[in-house]
Amino acid sequence: MMQCRWPLLGPLQWIRYTDKQVKLKVGKHEEHRGWMLTVDPVSASVVLVDFSEAGTSVRVVMGHAVEEVEVLQDADAETVQRLRSAFVLPKTPSLDP
Amino acid sequence: SISSSAASEADPEQLQREQQARSVLRENFLRCLVSMTNKKVQFHMHEKVKVEATFGASDIDVLNFQVSDLQTPIGVQKEALIRCQDVISVTFDV
Repeated sequence: MMQCRWPLLGPLQWIRYTDKQVKLKVGKHEEHRGWMLTVDPVSASVVLVDFSEAGTSVRVVMGHAVEEVEVLQDADAETVQRLRSAFVLPKTPSLDP
Repeated sequence: SISSSAASEADPEQLQREQQARSVLRENFLRCLVSMTNKKVQFHMHEKVKVEATFGASDIDVLNFQVSDLQTPIGVQKEALIRCQDVISVTFDV
């Protein structure tokens, strides 16, 4: 259970929540469950992914609205793979010399 | 916005790890934003207000979203900027 304020945790804490199924308390009354794909280090916004038979749905929760984060379970290998491939983009050329 | 380093002021190794984590997190977030482009999204605002729009872009600080065809209770706004402070969450289907 996350105790202190979510936007202040920092990247090393946020990244520990990725690839986990989480329960997010949002505002006063809302609660959302999903697989945490990432956290924007600039705004602390959380990307939650939900897989169902109908397809993949995504919820981006603004960092300022996150009240509490609770880890429910780790992702298995298959779920990690699905999370990795959720937003695959066409390969862009590397900018390294 | 958020301070550049929450964990470490002095330890260079810690800073390196933090920067590594930051870049992984940010890249994945940007990928998510890119995949939202031109998609129908639903904004969940305060007071249980929900509005639909076609997502355009976000500024780098994630302070504003640019959207098109914003369906408001008083009509459709062709182009609009939404302040992220007013938004609780955004949902869409991949």
